[in-house]
Amino acid sequence: MGSIVLSGRQLQRPLSSLCRSCSRRLLPRLSRSYAAVSSQQPDIYDVVCVGGGPAGLSLLTALRSNPTTAGLRVALVEAQDLEKVRSWKLPPDRFSNRCSSLTPASAQFLDNVGAWAHLHRDRVQPYHEMQVWDGVTDARIEFEWTPPAAGKTIAYMTENLNLTSGLLRRIDELGGVTVFNSARVAGISFGEETEDLDLREWPVVHLASGQRLAARLLVGADGANSPVRAFAGIESRGWDYERHGVVATLELEGEGWGGDAMKIAYQRFLPTGPVAMLPLPGNLSTLVWSTTPANAALLKSLSPKDFVALVNAAFRLRPVDLEYMHTISSGQEEELAWRLQHTQFNRRAIPQTVVGVQDGTIASFPLKMRHADTYIGERVALVGDAAHSIHPLAGQGLNQGQGDVESLARTIEFSVSHGQDLGTRMSLESYNSERYGPNHVLLGVCDKLHKIYSAGSGPLVPLRSLGLSAINALGPVKSFFMEQAAGNGIKLF
Amino acid sequence: MPPRIKPALLRQLRYLHLPSSPSPVRCTSSFPSRSFSATTASASASASHSSPNSTSPNSTFTTVSPDEVSHFNALASSWWDPQGPSRILHLMNPLRHDFIRSCRSSVLDVPPPPSNNLKYLDIGCGGGIFAESAARLPTTASVTAIDPSPEVLSVAKAHAKRDPALRSKLTYLNTPIENLPVPSTPQDGYDIVSIFEVIEHVPYPADFLDRCAPFVKPGGWLVLSTIARTWLSWVTTNLVAEDLLRIVPKGTHDWRKYINEEEMKTYFLQKRAQWTEPRCMGVVYVPGLGWKEVPGSEKVGNYFFAVRKVPDTA
Ligand SMILES: Cc1cc2nc3c(=O)[nH]c(=O)nc-3n(C[C@H](O)[C@H](O)[C@H](O)COP(=O)(O)OP(=O)(O)OC[C@H]3O[C@@H](n4cnc5c(N)ncnc54)[C@H](O)[C@@H]3O)c2cc1C
Ligand SMILES: C[S@@+](CC[C@H](N)C(=O)[O-])C[C@H]1O[C@@H](n2cnc3c(N)ncnc32)[C@H](O)[C@@H]1O
Repeated sequence: MGSIVLSGRQLQRPLSSLCRSCSRRLLPRLSRSYAAVSSQQPDIYDVVCVGGGPAGLSLLTALRSNPTTAGLRVALVEAQDLEKVRSWKLPPDRFSNRCSSLTPASAQFLDNVGAWAHLHRDRVQPYHEMQVWDGVTDARIEFEWTPPAAGKTIAYMTENLNLTSGLLRRIDELGGVTVFNSARVAGISFGEETEDLDLREWPVVHLASGQRLAARLLVGADGANSPVRAFAGIESRGWDYERHGVVATLELEGEGWGGDAMKIAYQRFLPTGPVAMLPLPGNLSTLVWSTTPANAALLKSLSPKDFVALVNAAFRLRPVDLEYMHTISSGQEEELAWRLQHTQFNRRAIPQTVVGVQDGTIASFPLKMRHADTYIGERVALVGDAAHSIHPLAGQGLNQGQGDVESLARTIEFSVSHGQDLGTRMSLESYNSERYGPNHVLLGVCDKLHKIYSAGSGPLVPLRSLGLSAINALGPVKSFFMEQAAGNGIKLF
Repeated sequence: MPPRIKPALLRQLRYLHLPSSPSPVRCTSSFPSRSFSATTASASASASHSSPNSTSPNSTFTTVSPDEVSHFNALASSWWDPQGPSRILHLMNPLRHDFIRSCRSSVLDVPPPPSNNLKYLDIGCGGGIFAESAARLPTTASVTAIDPSPEVLSVAKAHAKRDPALRSKLTYLNTPIENLPVPSTPQDGYDIVSIFEVIEHVPYPADFLDRCAPFVKPGGWLVLSTIARTWLSWVTTNLVAEDLLRIVPKGTHDWRKYINEEEMKTYFLQKRAQWTEPRCMGVVYVPGLGWKEVPGSEKVGNYFFAVRKVPDTA
């Protein structure tokens, strides 16, 4: 591991936020050759971001691309090897299984910070229609756009690696981020008081290499098990869903019922959880199937043809038939062929038939809902999954993180332009108040949706078909949902 | 309301006949105030303070009221507690920079005055809320910040140690303005001399401002904030903010010392030469929302005021 200086430019750039004398003293240690020299004093940064996932990389891009905040000394600490992200490349017909649907609001933000142009745009798939229905009652929420909005993009399906590698390229272009690559945070403590400096309230990040980074603001973009959150003593509350999200890259019989110009996202609520198929370029789609850990284990153990059959079954069969298909350890393909002869459905209201699954793309993740008590502390801010984990049924996890980052970057910009110490809780208050409420509402809505639809029978079932029909009948409510899905309603995400 | 000024206030309120004079602006002009623009204070304004004598040497003259210094000494320890009694000053601070920026960019000098390497003098800096923030701006060369209260100043110094960015830019001095050496040439003066929320704590404001004025560089700005003396400001700052909501520590304000914006203008533009381009911005504190600019509110409550020292004509 080492301290990689992305560009020599920061040696000349004005260090507005740190005084000249101390930045002179600190600058030599930025370069690799000095990294091994152990020192008494930690290196001093304005912002130390732990975590180089979508949230952390977006934050650094936003700070570096804004002239007001470009003078800040910023560092990134990432445990994984970012070289692998930077050099990520797949053939045009192969897609990663970790995809997210980016709302137009997220895409706009990424464009504003100059990152959108660095994504492989031919691998990004916009979609224009959503089909959502209840697997038990068959009630549908009709999500197609009414004529004025027809053709409007609901969201952009994007591989997470396409996003993060694009962000890295943009950061390389901007320069000035000190990257501690493949560097695990070994511990976080508070600084010390010396004769002329009192860093007792400054977090100091200790790296495994022995390097220490003092942070005016320590940002936890370090995912659901955030060490920064633990350091700040911020509780994160919630529950595990006892569900896993199974993902895979699927090959379909065609480009979709609407062709390339009118791509459709599908989601069916099953008693075990929602199954979603989201369009990728050409005849590819990505699967996100929330189901029990046992079902997830079965899905991962099946042969490709039986896996494909079970996915097709998930969008077609009645829940009891589908349940039966999970009890056999193989032979799903034949089972499905036989059962389909006895099942009624409208072919054009469900996704086209899956014909294959790309090698090595079937994987699963445990699902949970968590919300930190607050996103800020003295000299600490949390963004992305460090602050909240959401059920993937609305495809909002990554978008919430982008919303956080946009707000935090704006908060930091305000502090810098008004001479405030950007790390103090007082300076961070507006970030917390802007983001906490909207995220909380969304976490709650997705949690309730999951709970309402995971019952296979009982009093909730008739109620919820009423619910879906009611949503359909109530135009304004429905457009609220649609606007939220696209991230351009009242600014919730 | 601190007990020491309550009787006087009641007297003044009786004098106002509030019901028959609905306009706050007219109210303010209808009762006697201390004579702000004169060098000697009227006896009624502040009998407890000795009258200053502007001709006496610095060693005996003082702009400082001992009561005020002990009041702020007592507040020193909580100055930087964001939830503490000074929260409202912290919240006001960003507006000060917006106001200064708008003043500086409003003049049409050719060539435009330099916007970098600015020198600030912050008079009555308190714990350093404004002084620190000014020093952090990349456009600032230096900030000299002074306050007569020793306890408040040691809090300011200790707090500045927490930020390495301040070390080379910010200097604190525990002194009243009358003991600070006047710049030897006008060009050695300061680009911005700030006096935020201080003048209402000074017994003889005209004398005080006379001492501050020579520190402003030609073309530089004197910027201050204070509260207008109206029945509304009495209700909001003394009754509501201090007594009912307790968002401002009790005894912070002596309403009789408030000065209106009109009086400020008269002082600088009619009674003194050298000043030009008066600017004013009225601000209102809305609980839950913070400070908001409200045009016209300078007549009734908190306001910012700035004047520019006439630039040297080369
Ligand atoms: C099955 C599934 C499907 C999903 N689908 C969608 C979707 O359709 N749309 C959507 O918007 N979201 C989706 N999400 C959510 C989305 O993937 C996450 O919200 C997003 O990745 C969070 O980004 P982040 O940057 O906050 O955290 P992460 O991506 O978790 O990044 C955290 C980073 O911190 C680093 N790190 C952690 N600890 C340390 C340490 N001690 N030292 C150094 N570095 C450290 C990690 O290596 C990692 O790189 C889905 C999630 C799942 C599980
Ligand atoms: C309400 S505080 C304002 C502090 C600071 N300017 C701010 O707004 O953040 C008033 C300050 O004025 C100081 N003060 C009182 N009398 C003064 C005088 N005559 N000259 C200079 N400062 C004075 C007090 O010590 C106190 O710190």
